[in-house]
Amino acid sequence: MSRFEIYSPEGLRVDGRRWNELRRFDCSINTHSHAADGSSYLEQGNNKIITLVKGPKEPSLRSQMDPTKALLKVSVNITKFSKTERSKTSHKNERRVLEIQTALTRTFNKNVMLHIYPRTLIDIEIHVLQQDGGLVGTLINGITLALIDAGIAMFDYISGVSVGLYDTTPLLEVNSLEENVMSSVTLGVVGKTEKLSLLLVEDKIPLDRLESVLAIGIAGAHRVRELMDSELRKRAEKRVANSTN
Amino acid sequence: MSVAAALPKRKRLSEGLTVTQKVFVRSRNGRASKIVREHYLRKDIPCLSRACDKCPEIVVPDAKSELPSFVLSESPLELPSIGKHYVVLDTNVILQAIDLLENPDCFSDVIVPQIVLEEVRNKSYPVYTRLRSLTKNSDDKKRFIVFHNEFNEFTFIDRLPEESINDRNDRAIRKACQWYGEHLEPYGIKIVLVTNDRLNRDAADKSKDSFISMSLFDYVQALPNGDEIKDSIPNFEVSSENTKDTEAKSEFTYPEYYSTSRIMGGLKNGALFQGNIQISEYNFLEGSINLPNFSKPVLIVGPKNLNRAFNGDQVVVELLPQSEWKAPSSIALDSEHFDVNDNADIDGDDDNSQVVLSDKQRKLLTQDAILAQKSNKVQPTARVVSITRRSWRQYVGQIAPNSVDAQNGGTQNVFVILMDKCLPKIRIRTRRAHELLSQRIVISVDSWPETHKYPLGHFVRNLGEVESVQAETEALLLEHDVEYRPFSKKVLECLPPEGHDWKAPETLDDASAVSKDPLLPKRRDLRDKLICSIDPPGCVDIDDALHAKKLPNGNWEVGVHIADVTHFVKPNTALDGEGASRGTSVYLVDKRIDMLPMLLGTDLCSLKPYVDRFAFSVLWELNENADIVNVDFAKSVIKSREAFSYEQAQLRIDDPNQQDELTHGMRALLKLSIKLKEKRINAGALNLASPEVKVHMDSETSDPNEVEIKKLLATNSLVEEFMLLANISVARKIYDSFPQTAMLRRHASPPSTNFELLNEMLQTRKGMSISLESSKALADSLDRCIDPKDPYFNTLVRIMSTRCMMAAQYFYSGAYSYSDFRHYGLAVDIYTHFTSPIRRYCDVVAHRQLAGAIGYEPLDLSHRDKNRMDMICKNINKKHRNAQFAGRASIEYYVGQVMRNNESVETGYVIKVLNNGIVVLVPKFGVEGLIRLENLTKDTGSASFDEVEFKLSFTQATTGKRRDVHVFEKVDVQVRSVLDQVTSKRKAELLLI
Repeated sequence: MSRFEIYSPEGLRVDGRRWNELRRFDCSINTHSHAADGSSYLEQGNNKIITLVKGPKEPSLRSQMDPTKALLKVSVNITKFSKTERSKTSHKNERRVLEIQTALTRTFNKNVMLHIYPRTLIDIEIHVLQQDGGLVGTLINGITLALIDAGIAMFDYISGVSVGLYDTTPLLEVNSLEENVMSSVTLGVVGKTEKLSLLLVEDKIPLDRLESVLAIGIAGAHRVRELMDSELRKRAEKRVANSTN
Repeated sequence: MSVAAALPKRKRLSEGLTVTQKVFVRSRNGRASKIVREHYLRKDIPCLSRACDKCPEIVVPDAKSELPSFVLSESPLELPSIGKHYVVLDTNVILQAIDLLENPDCFSDVIVPQIVLEEVRNKSYPVYTRLRSLTKNSDDKKRFIVFHNEFNEFTFIDRLPEESINDRNDRAIRKACQWYGEHLEPYGIKIVLVTNDRLNRDAADKSKDSFISMSLFDYVQALPNGDEIKDSIPNFEVSSENTKDTEAKSEFTYPEYYSTSRIMGGLKNGALFQGNIQISEYNFLEGSINLPNFSKPVLIVGPKNLNRAFNGDQVVVELLPQSEWKAPSSIALDSEHFDVNDNADIDGDDDNSQVVLSDKQRKLLTQDAILAQKSNKVQPTARVVSITRRSWRQYVGQIAPNSVDAQNGGTQNVFVILMDKCLPKIRIRTRRAHELLSQRIVISVDSWPETHKYPLGHFVRNLGEVESVQAETEALLLEHDVEYRPFSKKVLECLPPEGHDWKAPETLDDASAVSKDPLLPKRRDLRDKLICSIDPPGCVDIDDALHAKKLPNGNWEVGVHIADVTHFVKPNTALDGEGASRGTSVYLVDKRIDMLPMLLGTDLCSLKPYVDRFAFSVLWELNENADIVNVDFAKSVIKSREAFSYEQAQLRIDDPNQQDELTHGMRALLKLSIKLKEKRINAGALNLASPEVKVHMDSETSDPNEVEIKKLLATNSLVEEFMLLANISVARKIYDSFPQTAMLRRHASPPSTNFELLNEMLQTRKGMSISLESSKALADSLDRCIDPKDPYFNTLVRIMSTRCMMAAQYFYSGAYSYSDFRHYGLAVDIYTHFTSPIRRYCDVVAHRQLAGAIGYEPLDLSHRDKNRMDMICKNINKKHRNAQFAGRASIEYYVGQVMRNNESVETGYVIKVLNNGIVVLVPKFGVEGLIRLENLTKDTGSASFDEVEFKLSFTQATTGKRRDVHVFEKVDVQVRSVLDQVTSKRKAELLLI
């Protein structure tokens, strides 16, 4: 028996949010301007990640070169100290991490205009400093921000968010406590549309409930997009102001 | 659990939200880890008072877009000393006095702060659920609400450096009270904090805040009806005021429990063991505990070693040194006759003899203990060193008359003797001792301090005169935890609005009917089949019906049609919840406690003759040899042609003049059922017996007047065989579709240790034995246990073997591997219950799963989830067991009433020989009773007990001759019913002639 009321009859979740509320969302870009071409630092609740984008650049291996388009490579480094208990092994070649990398590559392959950077490599590196549930969604947002910072052409924002299903109530953006006790899905939503570039369903979820889960997920992702957009615009205005001075 | 950390910062977000971090250090496996959680604070948490005009503006809807309802009354209870007020409860009050809070005559308009709710949840989950159900049905008289103080920006407080977590929580409660006090001041409503924590009260008084704090006792005293409910205040006698009552304070003290850290360490390194304690039925000072490493239960003997454990408690035990191991006592002892006058000190095992052992020595001791169990002579013993979880609930009992002081008219301490004889008597304080004498009362246990010989409790409610039908029935329902209150309004609202006028639609494609029930066209119309039902006489809840028809190819089409309860009981409704929690209908001698409301059970679902009814049908094609050629499942609509009783059906089948098609079908069913039974017996199905009897009631006075042993007809087994076949077919189908969560029933094979004693008795007395190799071998060896001189002997052995069997249980298929699905008694590899959805919840689940499996409608989430299925299974297993016990207790009571008028001499069988008595079973009444040595002989000292031969020899009181009594011996006993003076329980008393 869980020690907590996951969703109280009064409509409050373990951390005090309501069913349709996002966690705290803090982001900044161009945080590591010397180390990479594009970078971002993102805190989504207690998920804290650094994303570095290097490229488009010449690939170190000839085999990685595609004459028609750029190659997108995502590597996720989950640090040993990112969870409450320090893990003994590095997560580098864990199946789960490899799966996440593949999922992220596929999510962005269609959205980045790879055809305009032929024979190049776009290398995305993510460092997870702290995690607290719904990690894949956060990773998507981090990549979107870093790619924009690197000035790589994309069709639209992709914003990621996770949604859990508690009994019959969908809960937006699960934290790790919630993630452990209920099934959840992760969405990657393209811009302001209802197009999904990622739908990650790792637990069983009843088909007849999926629609309400997706609806709140898409609404949440749109809100995330707005938050990212406003931060980017703020940043851009500052740059413009600097350059005109 | 945690250490104070540096104060986290708050950060303001948009939309009236603030976020802060909860930081604490948790120790797990001896390692400390720092945990950081987000904690959001908000401004939109309403006070939920109808008087308030600010809060309705801030509320927001939930996921179903419903707004919270404002519950607290604008004109709450007004007391002369306080004025109009709401009550805020502290954790200790809720944990101690939840019964009092549930009392409809006191405590309305109550605020439960979230922090209190969390503390209650961590301390006791059952109390939490009771509290939650109070807050859920809050729109009626009680008006309980939960106030989320921890998420409210105005009432959240940070933990100060050096402040303990309890102090911080107490401060949070006071903060919430203060907020409420200020918030409601304009409306003239005061806040009263009721807490039994003196420090908390002092702190509240000191700060002179905007609320009043009181102890539970003071608050109840201030109520206008305080005197009446004062008896229900729980008894936690540790304060100094009560030292004057020396009556219960003997020198006797129990050993202290070990500290948590010592327990944890001991369990980890194997020096201590954890398990559920079971108190012996015959001796309340002897318990046993099943431990994983030991092949047999370990004994716990004597009050000091039992150390305040109740029957069923989860306890931690420690093995005693070898010098204290012993054979299980063969003495019968029950609490009601033990220490009746209670002033003597019991000489338990001497405390000073206790040897200090190191952990290493303890491990060696464990090995010795396991070896000793195998050699069978002495049994290792243990003592309780801690109680992990109490099994305390409400108990039924009556006041021991000799504990009441006749002169004293005021409050006094009295003993209550419980109906469950495995439990000690309870000490309660009451002012109404005289009034409550010879009444059945409900009490609740509060505490058992080590300085008290008996546990302390308090009075909850009076059921009525001892021996009155109503009080006894209610007592046994309560004692077996059977929910018997009428169905609530919410549950009844789930029934079809047409009520008794509900009709199955004429045609299955009728447009108006389809619009109401889009699944209707998926039903199969079986109204042309010649279906009939066969049930016990007077049966009103008919849940099964049958038909058989010859097919052109010579095979038989056989259909079993089960009432389609799930058409009316949809998942996640209040009706479904009620059914799930009741789990089963309970059959008492004079009444039936239904699982589902009458309208469904006896009308809409019942497959009554001559009307159209919805059913769930299992259709087989069987060949002449009753092998299944084909099986099909369908929701259907049927029309039963006739409802027979077993006798009527038998007569119709036997009557050669009946040559209509229905009778032909019934004959075919009978023929096929005989084949099925034969196959089942050949596969090794057991034919066990229980001493079941039936009580006949006088039709006018409804007094019981006759007891009869249940008879079996061929038609009984006709119905039974096809029900078994249906259950097996359904089990296979749902396991196929839901391999992880199918609702199934298993019956484990009995461990050979269970049969050891019986086999030994058979061997020495009769030269027979029971083989346990397989169920087939068991069945055959049971058949061989025949005494040519006594036809009943075989039945007796069967009754005794039944008691050695494991109980069958419900489970979900993910819980065991396929090989463990076996039903030992029926000798099938997979089984479920499908055929009685009106009276069993398991069948309701099986129906839904089958409907999902055949694609009729998607299966509800709760039956696809392992955790939810686990909860359902646990509950229905418990309810099923309780229902059986309640049924037996009811028969026992009525048999006692019958015997009251007819005292007689009957034949009995000795089934157990003890050191100081014998246990005799009287088949005619299905009663068994202990005959104490005192009643067998005048000279108890001359009696000798031979453990090897199972023999007790003594000088008979009446004849003065020496007499030996062996186990299995046929004896004549005088049966009469006596009212025990101490317990005022009527029971059969047996006297050897």
